[in-house]
Amino acid sequence: MCPLIELKTVSTVYEGAKVPSIKNITLRIQPGEFITIVGPNGAGKTTLLETINGLLPSEGVITVGDMNLKTDGTRIRKRIGYVPQEFICDSLTPFIVEDVVMMGRYGKIGLFKSPTRKDRYIVQEAMLFLSVDVLRRTPVGKLSGGQLQKVMIARALASEPEMLLLDEPFSNLDMKSRSELAEKLTTLNENGLTILMVIHDRSSIPPACRRIITMEQGKIVSDKHFKVMP
Amino acid sequence: MSELLILAVSGAILTGVSCSLVGSFVVRMNLSSLGFAMSHAAFAGAALGLVLSLDPLGLAIVFSIGVALLLGPLAEKANLPTNVILGVIFSLMISLGLVFLNLIPQTAMSSVALSILWGSILGMTVTSVLRLLVLSVGIVLIYWLFFKEFQAIMFSRKLAEASGINTRPFYYLILFLTGITVAFSLKLVGGLLVFALMVNPASSAYQFSYDMKKITIVSPIIGVLCCISGIAISFLADLPVGSSIALVSSAIFGAAVVLSPKRKRG
Repeated sequence: MCPLIELKTVSTVYEGAKVPSIKNITLRIQPGEFITIVGPNGAGKTTLLETINGLLPSEGVITVGDMNLKTDGTRIRKRIGYVPQEFICDSLTPFIVEDVVMMGRYGKIGLFKSPTRKDRYIVQEAMLFLSVDVLRRTPVGKLSGGQLQKVMIARALASEPEMLLLDEPFSNLDMKSRSELAEKLTTLNENGLTILMVIHDRSSIPPACRRIITMEQGKIVSDKHFKVMP
Repeated sequence: MSELLILAVSGAILTGVSCSLVGSFVVRMNLSSLGFAMSHAAFAGAALGLVLSLDPLGLAIVFSIGVALLLGPLAEKANLPTNVILGVIFSLMISLGLVFLNLIPQTAMSSVALSILWGSILGMTVTSVLRLLVLSVGIVLIYWLFFKEFQAIMFSRKLAEASGINTRPFYYLILFLTGITVAFSLKLVGGLLVFALMVNPASSAYQFSYDMKKITIVSPIIGVLCCISGIAISFLADLPVGSSIALVSSAIFGAAVVLSPKRKRG
């Protein structure tokens, strides 16, 4: 099968750093996969996610379908939903939840166009799915860490992505919310969404995950496929 | 006298609109330090223009935008925090500006030279008012056309980029508009205080709403209020117009912080 995303000997060096944060990563991600990347702090997990959607400059080749990240970065990012690790808003941030979720669609809506009724419907559905629709008029700066995390996931889903990149999505959630989110991610994956998730706590890996990649010191040290989660 | 007053008031209204509109972006994007350095660079550029008998406005724009464009590569090459570089640039520009002013022959050390430092109602001409009109209309048009992109960038540039918006052109567009706005506003407010008119009205507007559309409308209203009140105080108390505007805008900001519903608990 043709991979959705392919990385060939990809390395990323942060500005001013001498040693690359990730080194010679080669990875193929098939459509519909649910992959979890684990590893200790500083292993390069977040760097790998941000390299895949082109937020960090890298060496090597990254392709999404028939598009190359170096030449089609903006078009590729419209196909990928990205949820950063522990996003922080100050209490005066002048945006409400509904605005922020809608921003996830702006790339797809394109220049010189306003959100349509369809866009608003998709945003509403994303908020409902993450159970944040009741917060739609709430300023994002007033949300708890867990609520903001859900809003950021709704924002990523509002772009109707082919693939979701999640960086520590459970970090701000209590146990109940973790299991609810794991169920929702399973539902999304069953509906065909490819998911690549970074976590440092192996006990949080959702049962639907069928592939676990372990990273250490910027390298992939193991890449295991499972029929059933061990 | 009445023509002078009409030009001053028209210039003040347009300066207030353009500065505070650009300011709403500058404040939210934490570009205040950069804008501060740009305003002093514009002052240095205008002073150099007077020394060389070149167009002060043109050089003010070149200096102001030059600082914005130089900052990134300079911070990268020197491997220093941006704020350190901005601190150095700020002191360099204010020193250059004062040196250039000192080099202007005494006969030419006219009100024009001093006005780029302190601002002057007398500095407003039909041409400068027309320039400000074109600038204000241009900024409103750009905001209207790209409001959703600006909104996304103001929330988080990184997330805007991740959702498929090419943020770089918008970011540079704002730097460019900031540079031009600073340069065009020099005549009225002066190089030392033009930045107060960018930051204070926008920061005041941010205290009252979570809606960027409302902030974008309220910010220029406060900006105009600051300029008109500043001019009135300048006329009545014979104070430099730039200082008067900065004092009014600071007072409004102070009141906004105290009265802000966003800061009330519960």
